[in-house]
Amino acid sequence: MFENLFVGIAEGLRSSLGGLPLEINEAIVMLVKLVGILLFILLSALWLVYMERKIAAFMQARLGPNRTGPKGLLQTTATIGKLMAKEIFINKEADKVCFLLASTLIFVPTLMVLAVIPFGKNMAAIDMNIGLLYLIAITSLDVILFWLSGWASNNKYSLIGGMRSVAQMVSYELPMVIVLLGVVMLTGTLNLSEIIEAQEHTWFIFTQPIAFIIYFICGLAECNRTPFDLVEGESELVQGFSTEYSGMAFAMFYLAEYANMVVICFMTAILFLGGWQAPFGWDFIPSWLWLFLKMYVMMFLMMQIRWTYPRFRVDQLMGFGWKVLLPLSLANVFITGAGMYIYRAIGW
Amino acid sequence: MFGKGLVKGLVITWKEFWTPKVTIQYPEEQPPVPERFHGRLSIEVDKCIACGMCVNACPNKVIELKKQKVGKKQFLTDYVQNVQYCLFCGLCVEACPKDALHFTAIFNMNQYFYDNLPVVLVQREAPAEPVEKEEPAAKAGSGDKVKPKPKAKVDKSVPAAASEVAAGKAPDKEGQ
Amino acid sequence: MLKTQEYNLNLGPQHPSTHGVFRILLTLDGERVVKAEPIPGYLHRGVEKLAEARTYTQFIPYTDRLDYLAAMLQNWGYVMAVEKLMGIEVPERAEYMRVICGELSRLASHLIAIGTYSMDTGGVTGFELALRERETTMDLLEELTGSRMTLSYARIGGVAADAPEGWLDKVDKFMDKMPAYIDEYDGLIAGNEIFQARTMQVGVIKPETAISYSLSGPNLRGSGVNYDLRKAKPYSVYDRIDFDVPLGTNGDCYDRFYCRLQEMRQIVRILKQAVAQIKEVDGPVIGKVPKVLKPPKGEAYEEIESSKGIIGYYVVSDGSAKPYRIHVRRGSFINLGYLDELLRGVLLADVIAILGSLDIILGEVDC
Repeated sequence: MFENLFVGIAEGLRSSLGGLPLEINEAIVMLVKLVGILLFILLSALWLVYMERKIAAFMQARLGPNRTGPKGLLQTTATIGKLMAKEIFINKEADKVCFLLASTLIFVPTLMVLAVIPFGKNMAAIDMNIGLLYLIAITSLDVILFWLSGWASNNKYSLIGGMRSVAQMVSYELPMVIVLLGVVMLTGTLNLSEIIEAQEHTWFIFTQPIAFIIYFICGLAECNRTPFDLVEGESELVQGFSTEYSGMAFAMFYLAEYANMVVICFMTAILFLGGWQAPFGWDFIPSWLWLFLKMYVMMFLMMQIRWTYPRFRVDQLMGFGWKVLLPLSLANVFITGAGMYIYRAIGW
Repeated sequence: MFGKGLVKGLVITWKEFWTPKVTIQYPEEQPPVPERFHGRLSIEVDKCIACGMCVNACPNKVIELKKQKVGKKQFLTDYVQNVQYCLFCGLCVEACPKDALHFTAIFNMNQYFYDNLPVVLVQREAPAEPVEKEEPAAKAGSGDKVKPKPKAKVDKSVPAAASEVAAGKAPDKEGQ
Repeated sequence: MLKTQEYNLNLGPQHPSTHGVFRILLTLDGERVVKAEPIPGYLHRGVEKLAEARTYTQFIPYTDRLDYLAAMLQNWGYVMAVEKLMGIEVPERAEYMRVICGELSRLASHLIAIGTYSMDTGGVTGFELALRERETTMDLLEELTGSRMTLSYARIGGVAADAPEGWLDKVDKFMDKMPAYIDEYDGLIAGNEIFQARTMQVGVIKPETAISYSLSGPNLRGSGVNYDLRKAKPYSVYDRIDFDVPLGTNGDCYDRFYCRLQEMRQIVRILKQAVAQIKEVDGPVIGKVPKVLKPPKGEAYEEIESSKGIIGYYVVSDGSAKPYRIHVRRGSFINLGYLDELLRGVLLADVIAILGSLDIILGEVDC
């Protein structure tokens, strides 16, 4: 029943604006879609902070926030309110423009990417033909911002954090992109909606298990989550690249981490878990709800991994990325290619 | 094989996720305080002979004691425990020969102002002539021997009689 | 041309992983350490000087605050030194109570060592789970002595008070549950491949170096040297209790960590035997001690195996009620002697791992 909720809203909006010329009509509908996505990402960042704290607490034999609001639900709003009231303290020696620029622009790549993600059947805000390429290209822009904040802080701890982040994020993007080639080879298209439709009978996690694991690990590295969080290694570099940030500038980094996690989990669900396809044909849950469920399962796994494992050391991390994941991803491409050739030759 | 320890770690945290928690949510639930707990001091003024053994036993000079000779015995007039210096070691309680000094279960001795920190356990005027010893059982507001008189320096309007504070039955103002 | 430059990084007194207010001045080349200069002293409280103005009994609460995680063991070393000076005999039941309380303190200290080491390497969950067991330990100690952390339980000639009714059974029940918890730490922390990669072959101390730098405690035993004062020079009633001394093989951080984990299992064994044996011993818990302690002129040195190393007390008396001089041979302070050499040429993350594996506590380092 709720299957076409958002599609119906868009149709209703289009028809109610019927009098205006077509371009302005479409522009207004697009604007509403994008504002909707913006609201979604902000609210989900708020909710995810609470979810993370509660999950962490339950795994650590304690209760987590349970005082502000019923069951502690208003904890994040209280945190953001507190951070807004704090002074954004900039060192005398720090590069003021870069300092503030890094924290202001941190949400931009995430929001740009979310425009192409298909939230359900026919529910991508912008259905790009090169959606996957666009996504990979934009997410690699995050590197610049982390590096910029580490440099602009004029603090040795931040500098180490920034340098580490460049090394880590760049070297873990390679296996991530190569592994996605396997998916692209199977479907022959870069369009995200068509990739989902190609998973109607089997999800790609069954045909490409290595790719799934490697993509998830690289996703963790891109988000700077444990075990790859030496960028903001709390035990060593107090807060890494965001040591000098306080107040709302810090809140932007804090929320952007969760926004990035949302993007990675969406991508895992779309590329390997069938996106909005219902497993076993269970249609009673609408497609966009299926995508959210799958995304939250991946999110739970990410959080559990964060709170279980210690973190890698820099040289071990680089060694793992270049010497283990890269050859494995190349092998994956090779095996996929060979498999497809044999598949076609046999004539299945 | 590589990864076995990693999976085991995830299994342990998954199990831990579902175990019931043992957190005691203070201040709605109070933690159980054992009998020997080293809380705030309490002195039974009837038993105290103002010998000063507790003052000598203290490593940090926490206890201040003032006495006055009434008849043949010493009469305890002032007894203050400076909790800001106290180690809560218990050497004073062990040193008391008459078993008059004890620990209570009171652990919040916080105050808003630093001057209110020292806990005044006994503060009374010495009578002119020796008084007969009353039954040691009666405690709350016993007769004319104890006059709760607030001093100007310490701002407390004495919600509890001084003898009750001394006996450790009522907390000091702003304590709990 | 591009050139590189070495820079100074202050792993300053305020840092999440220096186990207290400890400062290391690192000279780094990129991420590699060229020189490390440990600078202790930020928690110096002048305890040895304060001792000159206190009587022998009044000094006992100060010893608590040296290694505050294993308070009983510090008290014990001190009262043993004074008893040696005065020639006081301690009744048997008091010795057993000292062993039980001391081993519980050692358990509490090792739980923190394991928990904080897990947190230093990044796994915060290990820390929280270890603290849950420490809460039970501290509840038991609170029932026995009245304080959770700074116990002041030992007295010259015995202990302060006997165990309350039912307390020994509670200790027994807790020891029944403990092995399951230790298995949990083993699986979550020690068995984790990432943790092993972080700590194996890192910070290797050879046995000869360990002996020549006077390391003690799990730092020494992690390198394979079998020297535990409870077995080498048995004191108190340790010769009647059967337990093993876990040893490491490589002398790296993992071995030191694993020694502490295995020692916790041995603590369970010791406590079960002690609780069973004390039921047959009746008697006073404090020996014949004069009211005012005036030891004869002379000096005495006594050392015991504390959780972090060997703690020794050197007491000099001039015949009055106050000691002339007390010097504390602190295990953590001497364990730090090798830090500079150990840190040369490692990466920044290893600095934290090595410092955590030495298990120092600043109360002891700075006295």
